[in-house]
Amino acid sequence: MNSIYSVVDYLRDLFTTRLPYFPSNIRSALIIILFCAIVFAELYMYIAVRRIRQNAAKRKKDKWNDTISNLLANIIIYGDDDDTETIINHFLPQFKKLPLYRPFIKKMLTKELLEYHANFIGKTADVLRGLYLRLNLHKEAIAKLKSNYWEKKIEGIREITQMNLRTEAENILQFTDEENGQLRMEAQAAFVKLSDDNPFRFLDRARERILDWHQLVLFEVITKTKNVQIPLFSKWLSSKNDSVVMLCLKLVNHYQQWDAIPLMVLLFKHENLKIRARAIENIGKMEAEMVEENLFEMYFNQPIEIKLNVIEALGRISSGNYLDFLKSRTYSENFKIRMAALYAIKLHGPSGEDLLSKIYHDSTFQNRSIVEHVLDQRIKN
Amino acid sequence: MSLYYFFFEEFLNNAIFYYALIVMFSYIFLTFLSAVEMKSYLRKNSYVDYKAILVSPHAPSVSILAPAYNEEASIIDNVRSLLSLHYSNFEVIIINDGSSDNSMAVLIEHFGLEKVKFALNEQIKTKPLRGIYKSKDPAFSRLTVVDKDNGGKSDALNMGINVSGKDLILCIDVDCIVEQDAILKMVKPFLDEGKRVIATGGVVRIANSCEVRDGRLISVNMPDKIIPRFQVLEYIRAFLMGRMAWSRLNGLLLISGAMGLFDKEIVIKVGGYNHNTVGEDMELVVRMRRYMHDQDLRYRVVYTPDPLCWTESPSSATILGRQRNRWTRGTMEVLWLHKDLFFNPRYGFLGLLSYPYWFFFEWLAPILEFVGLFCFIIMAIMGYINWEFSLILFSMVYFFAIMLSTIAVLFEEMSYQQYTKGSDLFRLLGMAVLEPIIYHPLTVYWAIRGNIDKLTGKTSWGTMTRTGFKTKIKQAA
Repeated sequence: MNSIYSVVDYLRDLFTTRLPYFPSNIRSALIIILFCAIVFAELYMYIAVRRIRQNAAKRKKDKWNDTISNLLANIIIYGDDDDTETIINHFLPQFKKLPLYRPFIKKMLTKELLEYHANFIGKTADVLRGLYLRLNLHKEAIAKLKSNYWEKKIEGIREITQMNLRTEAENILQFTDEENGQLRMEAQAAFVKLSDDNPFRFLDRARERILDWHQLVLFEVITKTKNVQIPLFSKWLSSKNDSVVMLCLKLVNHYQQWDAIPLMVLLFKHENLKIRARAIENIGKMEAEMVEENLFEMYFNQPIEIKLNVIEALGRISSGNYLDFLKSRTYSENFKIRMAALYAIKLHGPSGEDLLSKIYHDSTFQNRSIVEHVLDQRIKN
Repeated sequence: MSLYYFFFEEFLNNAIFYYALIVMFSYIFLTFLSAVEMKSYLRKNSYVDYKAILVSPHAPSVSILAPAYNEEASIIDNVRSLLSLHYSNFEVIIINDGSSDNSMAVLIEHFGLEKVKFALNEQIKTKPLRGIYKSKDPAFSRLTVVDKDNGGKSDALNMGINVSGKDLILCIDVDCIVEQDAILKMVKPFLDEGKRVIATGGVVRIANSCEVRDGRLISVNMPDKIIPRFQVLEYIRAFLMGRMAWSRLNGLLLISGAMGLFDKEIVIKVGGYNHNTVGEDMELVVRMRRYMHDQDLRYRVVYTPDPLCWTESPSSATILGRQRNRWTRGTMEVLWLHKDLFFNPRYGFLGLLSYPYWFFFEWLAPILEFVGLFCFIIMAIMGYINWEFSLILFSMVYFFAIMLSTIAVLFEEMSYQQYTKGSDLFRLLGMAVLEPIIYHPLTVYWAIRGNIDKLTGKTSWGTMTRTGFKTKIKQAA
């Protein structure tokens, strides 16, 4: 016990009376020690208290989750005989008994309603939507759009989209050219889903770049959402925003919009190589034989990546008009060009396979091995 | 004479103090940056629906390259686990690097492999190819097995790059346990950065004592043994704090060899992995960065803090010592190979901060620590030590170290909270208190040994014996 007292006395002495008399580095060291020790002790306590509170919150959440899930499960198993409004009126009082004045319960109920709504269709989904509206939860979603935090705005947009509050489409349009990329993308996706007339209006005013990731998400939303009025995307192929052109090229291909072909030919001269490559790829995928000549003419002045695209497109079109050209490419010094040309020849069906066997017999050892590679069905291109 | 010692002691005390102060300041700065980066990542990604990448035909294609050397016992589970990853457009390329066991026979039998007539485009020079195999079973059409002469990990990865037919390459250790959504999370930075992303790294976690079944992680536990437990803390600190901060600064020099996703085009342009260093993972990143600078191209190297890869860490001091020895030699080799980067303004941040940081704080720090300790002992023997002052200086470093480790634990708690049991959490906090006095001196010793071995010409990889997850599988079953 005495030794503990003596250590305490020593430390008190060290940090009080003796401190001013130490050299500056020792004084600084002592202050750093004190600071670190206090921070360490506080962090230790904070971590422990945080864990305890987290566990308590989890228990509370589990309890209310059970109650809410039971209520929602009753809706799902309720018969289909009554009309939607009657079912809503039947369940509404039970939901109103929940202490919705407590924010975390309101939040939990909203989350569950949204989740259930996403997983059901038909009358159940209608009832869930009706309850959401009658409980005035939509007002909070709309209010979130006015928040200063982009996360809150996204939450609001997602709720509005999930519950199909189409009247809010115009309200969301303002965020489709936001500086914050995440918010911008959510708003664009929501606008496509909610807008009744001209859901792609945001593309006209898009100044910000639509990142590859956002293009990917938008493509999924546009192609998977039912009842969206699909416009002619060629309208935006001359946009000054390269990312808009890129997205529209993907959509042109997906919807096989043939009217876009002349504009895609113009894109063969686009300075952005990715756009040029995508336009050529589309021509191939759409098997636009009438553009073959343009492809052939452009070939010789292009970098390797574009040359590969041209060869692949000619292979996909497989009209047979350019078999000699493709054969000539099998003597290229570039391995990738040789391989692409042989694959393109293979795509020509029986005539292509005949040519491949001729090339095999007339060719060098390395080209033979590429022909064997191309003909091996187990190896995917 | 005593005046000389007095000045020497003064110099030593001040030198240690100011060096420690600089190191501490840099750590505080990095901690602050990593907190900012982590918060920004979690904020940004809390609204991400990765299903979009999973189903999209426009997601970039990925080749998983996994070199295998004498992995007969676990290779089937590992390959099955890789084939079951959640992604749409990927292939798995296993490179059998001339194994002397039955790895190849086991693979051929289990997956119904047969040799195919593959035309190899040898863009990077490697040891001779023996054959490329594909499965007869369409269920394994994503799998390609490459059999080649032994040439080491770098050579095997280079062969994998030659065989790869995709845009991105995910280089992993075959015995790692990869999270199912790892590719999705690592691919995303390639799609949502304004600049070209040339590489992304995932956080590597310690899997010792975790429950593993069929190559998948079932539950996370704190390691039973103390050596891996120290490494848990060390990895959390290194990945969640250090690398996140460097990612924020776009100054990352190292992406762990256990798991890294690279832009194949750039990897090929720089000539692939370097065969002549044991720090091949770091060397590749440095070379890729240099290339981008030389070409005046804007780029980023990004870290994702999600726990994506679990690895078995060395559980004995001897094996860990060998690993650390190799890491030190690797660092020395990379610093030497790229010595012209040192404070070279032409390379911007890379030359002015990242490289000097590695030089002063990663390579030089253990040496200075050792020299300081050596001088201290000599002076103590000669009776020229002010014990009280020395104790205060040591205490300063000690308390700073435990504070830093506790902040790392807090980061873990506030982000991914992998250790859900309260007991695990407190054991982790306990490690923070013990690490500076038990584990840290050992790492300094191994670093010194690494330096000596490098200077005396040792080049070996250092055998890494793994216990494997077999025992745990039985326990779980």
